[in-house]
Amino acid sequence: MKKIIMFLLAIVCVGGVFAQGSFTASYPISIPMGDLSDYIGEPSFRGFTMEFAKRQKKNLDIGLEFSWHTFYERQDKKVFTEGTASISGIQYRYTNSMPLLAGVKYYKETDGNFQFFGGFGLGTLYVNRSTDLGLYRITNETWQFAIRPELGVLFKAGSGVSGVLGAKYYAGFGTDDLDGQSYISINLGLMFSNF
Amino acid sequence: MTIKLRYWLAILVLPILSSCYPKGAEYNEELDIVYTNYNPDYNFTSKMTYAIPDSVIKIDGDNFLDPDGNLKPEFLTPANSALILNQIKQNMSAYGWTQVPKTSNPDVIILVSTFTTLNLYYYYDWGYWGWWYPGYYPPWGWYYPGYYPPYITGYRSGSVLLQMVDSKAAPGAENVPVEWTAICNGLAEGSDLQSRVQKMIDAAYSQSTYLKH
Repeated sequence: MKKIIMFLLAIVCVGGVFAQGSFTASYPISIPMGDLSDYIGEPSFRGFTMEFAKRQKKNLDIGLEFSWHTFYERQDKKVFTEGTASISGIQYRYTNSMPLLAGVKYYKETDGNFQFFGGFGLGTLYVNRSTDLGLYRITNETWQFAIRPELGVLFKAGSGVSGVLGAKYYAGFGTDDLDGQSYISINLGLMFSNF
Repeated sequence: MTIKLRYWLAILVLPILSSCYPKGAEYNEELDIVYTNYNPDYNFTSKMTYAIPDSVIKIDGDNFLDPDGNLKPEFLTPANSALILNQIKQNMSAYGWTQVPKTSNPDVIILVSTFTTLNLYYYYDWGYWGWWYPGYYPPWGWYYPGYYPPYITGYRSGSVLLQMVDSKAAPGAENVPVEWTAICNGLAEGSDLQSRVQKMIDAAYSQSTYLKH
């Protein structure tokens, strides 16, 4: 936890030195897909996203994203059977996914206050999957290579402040430890910029 | 202004996140698990009779302990033994088995034992004292030379182990085959312990339908 806080503060400080830059903080609601949805079917309402971007050209940003998405589901008492062995109990399932990505974002030029954008990110997902069963915890921890396309809309609310609504698709690639984890996040946030 | 806001956002967001982190079990019962396994080549339905001792043994360590010197191990109290054994007998008879004395050549024998473990924690991060302790340097830890302090915090976990043994397996064989086994595990604490053990024994049978006639 300490490491994560230090890391976040480091990103905030780095963000501060960008000449023409922006900082976006948003709240994600995430819908699990694929292997993740087989494990936890419920959407996640826990998480945050922080993005730091530098304006490269008039409509083009490059930037960094750090997010944290927590998926959780309680599985009522049921019997899990493998071969001749059966085990029954309540399972508490957790998946913490932390994407750390570098990406580009392209903004469509418009006259009004709305501006559509599309982006693509590349990086890694740190995934920690834990299952609590009885007094025991089974943990599976892995780093996955990940891509993240996104689409969204920006609403200019005032000088240097905009509202953001967007959708991101995080797709992790499978490792020996864990199949690729993927989910869609709907993000609602604020962007602060000095341009 | 925007830079200040960034700091505030980062500082505000973290405690909100940690306070809404999902929680796990709240009641003892939610930590109960039942494990069963069996020999797939054993024909349970062709067996009809079983014998069972009238005591449940209490196991504290790996080695056989004989506190009274009477060649018998430690037992659960008669009341607690009866609670467990009666629950097993009910389930066996519901599955069509008949109890017989061990002298009447039973098909299988059921052996029941319990294990408890006290899990203790003595350690906390020495960093808590770094603000005061003279000359403190971060990687420091501590230890108790040659002794342990009294209980700081911990819990007692326990298991009830059921073993169904084929009593007609080759006489003279060194080891007797355990054809079915069930482990009921959870916190060995709380006023509802007895009813939880009963429920776990029921669960062991309901997830082992191959025992049913």
